[in-house]
Amino acid sequence: MRNVKKAFGIVTAAALVAGLAGCGGSNGGNDSNASGSPSASASGSASASASAAPEKFEKISLFQSKVEIAEPLEALAKKYKEETGNEVEVWGSAGDAYATQLQAKLTAGQGPTVFSVATGAEAEKFKSYLYDLSNEPFTASIAPHMALEADGKVVGVPYGVEGFGIVYNKSLVDPKDVSNLDSFTKTLEKLKAEGKNGFSLSQEAYFLIGHLINMPFALQADPQAFIDKLNKGEVKMADTKEFQEFAKFLDAIKANGTNPMEVKYDTQMGDFATGKTAMVHQGNWSYGMLKDYGDLGFDIGMMPFPLAGNTKLSVGVASNWVINAKASPEQIKAASAFLNWLFTSETGKNAIVNEFKFIPALTNIEADDLDPLSKAVFEATKSGQTVTWAFNMFPQGIIVNDLAPAAQEFFLDKNMTGEQFLQKLDAAWAKAAK
Amino acid sequence: MRTTSKWLLELLLVLLALCFLSPVYLMVVNSFKNRAELYQNALALPSSLSFQYYSKAMEKMNYWTAFGNSVFVTVVSVVIVVLLASMTAWMLVRTDNKLSKIIFMVLVSTMLIPFQTLMMPLMQVMDWIRTNLHLPMLNTHGGLIYMNVGFHASMAVFLYHGFIKSVPVALEEAATLDGCSKFGVFWRIVFPMLTTITITIAILDVIAIWNDYLLPSLTLSDKGLRTIPLSTFYFFGEFTIVWNLAMAGLTLTIIPVVIFYFFAQKYIVKGIAAGAVK
Amino acid sequence: MSKKMDKVWFAVFTVPLLFVFATVVIIPFLIGIGYSFVSWDGIPANPKVFVGFDNYAKLFQDERFLASSWHTIQFTVLALVSVNLLGLLLSLFVTAKLRTSNAARTLFFMPNLIGGLILGYIWQFIFTDAFKMVGEKTGLHSVFFNWLLDPQFAIYAMVVVFTWQMAGYTMIIYIAGIQGIPDDLIEAAKVDGANLWHRLTRIVFPLLMPAFTICLFLTLSGAFKIFDVNLSLTKGGPNNASEMFAMNIFNEIFGYGHYGLGQAKAIVFFLIVAILTLTQVVITKRREVQM
Repeated sequence: MRNVKKAFGIVTAAALVAGLAGCGGSNGGNDSNASGSPSASASGSASASASAAPEKFEKISLFQSKVEIAEPLEALAKKYKEETGNEVEVWGSAGDAYATQLQAKLTAGQGPTVFSVATGAEAEKFKSYLYDLSNEPFTASIAPHMALEADGKVVGVPYGVEGFGIVYNKSLVDPKDVSNLDSFTKTLEKLKAEGKNGFSLSQEAYFLIGHLINMPFALQADPQAFIDKLNKGEVKMADTKEFQEFAKFLDAIKANGTNPMEVKYDTQMGDFATGKTAMVHQGNWSYGMLKDYGDLGFDIGMMPFPLAGNTKLSVGVASNWVINAKASPEQIKAASAFLNWLFTSETGKNAIVNEFKFIPALTNIEADDLDPLSKAVFEATKSGQTVTWAFNMFPQGIIVNDLAPAAQEFFLDKNMTGEQFLQKLDAAWAKAAK
Repeated sequence: MRTTSKWLLELLLVLLALCFLSPVYLMVVNSFKNRAELYQNALALPSSLSFQYYSKAMEKMNYWTAFGNSVFVTVVSVVIVVLLASMTAWMLVRTDNKLSKIIFMVLVSTMLIPFQTLMMPLMQVMDWIRTNLHLPMLNTHGGLIYMNVGFHASMAVFLYHGFIKSVPVALEEAATLDGCSKFGVFWRIVFPMLTTITITIAILDVIAIWNDYLLPSLTLSDKGLRTIPLSTFYFFGEFTIVWNLAMAGLTLTIIPVVIFYFFAQKYIVKGIAAGAVK
Repeated sequence: MSKKMDKVWFAVFTVPLLFVFATVVIIPFLIGIGYSFVSWDGIPANPKVFVGFDNYAKLFQDERFLASSWHTIQFTVLALVSVNLLGLLLSLFVTAKLRTSNAARTLFFMPNLIGGLILGYIWQFIFTDAFKMVGEKTGLHSVFFNWLLDPQFAIYAMVVVFTWQMAGYTMIIYIAGIQGIPDDLIEAAKVDGANLWHRLTRIVFPLLMPAFTICLFLTLSGAFKIFDVNLSLTKGGPNNASEMFAMNIFNEIFGYGHYGLGQAKAIVFFLIVAILTLTQVVITKRREVQM
């Protein structure tokens, strides 16, 4: 009995440590229970005394792509079991292997009950597995235009919103000096003269071109229509105004900074954290990287990429929670109960903001303790100062397989101009869209 | 004169070995650094030798459970591969007809198929076995072992096939005349003479299976079943790698196989086949 | 013993392995051949459309596929030579009864203990950081620069990493071969006055033919199928210059979601490679000496 108590104590302590900021409410419930029955379901009903005794559901499995939240998610599943008595088995997957593994597991008839899909081509690919969530209570509070939809039905709940733009060192750059092509170029030249790297990209496909090229697409009157026309070969990037200016930005970046092909994401953020680089094109997720450097000694912020007078950050949804429509009805019921708990219970909401570190895309979740980059994104979202993630509408695989190689060529070939690069991009696009 | 050249050779060997070891050096030193230190200089020695990342990696990986799973899967797979492959290879060498030639060629040529093209159909076949024969092929150690045996069979047969030739047929014939069955001939006479190549195969397969990530990642889902390479997934994000934990985890992954190899290689010794001829 | 009994024994010895092998490799491969005639994105619930030989017709116009095949051939030839030369050299070294032989035998094999993915990541540090540093210190910028950014050197970089990994692997197969050569043969040759070179070329190498066959084939198949190192070291870049065949297929199947086309590519390449390598196996097998 002593061992049981001890073990239970450790579990409770672990749960509390994992709970961090949100420990206020659940404290009493758990403690008083340690002395009583060690059964998990009993402890659950005690802490959630307001609601009726929790229903017993089938055990479900959960498979998702974001490795960074794997551990807090496991801890959360443990809490879910404590509070409701129901079980969620969290599977593991390494970053970019996720989609392949998901495909294999579905092929093997071993699909997970709850899983994640990226907005765009990936969601389209797995469309036949997405359960209609339109009537689930928790989808009502998804922020406008953020829900994952298929054929007019809500099929996925966003992880959170994410945004990118120019992450800058406030002691080196003033946003006023980065407001258009001219001032941007002048700032880069000035920084270069001071021995600083003005603006840095890095060699990973999305950080090299995928995110950057979003801007000229997003600034089109109707990005989706523009992409459709591009796929059909009815328009060319080289003939479009925003892209022409984009090419000039690229020329300036190439002329005044280190070659991004030499720079990995790790080094990019290292150079930024140590003050060698003044600006990087990155998103709020990069804060996790900066945190590892301790006190930076300067303030950071995020500002819009000033293409064609743009004043907005690129904000969108990377990943969504979905329920496997091919699972058994009992499992679907259990899955919807879990998601409902995740998005409406205090424990769940707290985990989303404080453990997963997501910027909530649900209006019923408060976020008050965000890091500076997430805060910038959150505020832009609330005030509507955002443009869409147009690259989610691109043909499947095009960024990694076609656009990135073209960009590599551009940055490695000293003589290639931005204009020639646009032609390369047009050619690459035509080939990929076939 | 002879001793000088021998010393030179020794020196060369040591230098070469150090050269070979440099990437391993990188792996070990970077398991002691935090991100800022790694960024400053990936090649330098760490500023402090604290094993915090190792204990953290062990805890996150649930190391000992994963270790037990890995040992079980690896040992059983390799034992079955060795037993079945040696028997098959011996029969194929000693039976000189079209069928055995075809079987051999099929086994060998399939080693050229990239695994990436097999994985989806393989999952379908396993799903079919599961639903129609009710054998739990997926999300079980047994199923993984079965697939390991299938994938490593051809190489083992290939290796045995090459080395069985050094076993004199005369010995087998003598034993047959003494009234040994085929089974007896194989296990009493032939198999013991194949020790060197058996150990070699065991070493190669142990390493391949121990380190394998792809196949287990497709077949094992439950946390409690994870092998060691699977449990390092926490350190590999989509864009970032938690270097110190990843390197510590990797070092922890390979230490058991280094030890295994160090002891196993001693059994690759001279004279087993040679001695028997006399 | 009767012919019938021989057949029974043949079955007893071979069927268990062949059964497992058939379910895990052969049947999936045949299913794969079937998929090469359909247009499908690889998602079980999505429709498959029979398109006959369309996928095969398409792949011969795929310049990138042809380019990746050419990279693979370049890579394989280079790797074949360097891996086997080094592996043989190492095996002769460590069987030479030197003081450090045992330790060296372990050290040379160590690279093989690190799985392919991680290997690529570690070597990235070497090519980007270490090479840059050495280049700055020695001034040898024509050799020590970031190989991964040069289309041709990116392939060489893969050869270096693959050699580093596989040399120890072939080494232990060569060792097994060398250990199988009876001491008395070599002693007898020594008595007859044969020098080291003669002993190697007249006795050791001919008796090593089985090991050669095996190592050449293993290197060949390993090089043709290379994927892990490709993915983690160069990601096929720069500008697809180091994209190998397996990676091209993987991208086709999982990147673009063209399952049938990817399978068709795999089958065409398999046929070509199988014909080439089986010829090689048959040729070297003929030169093996029976005891």
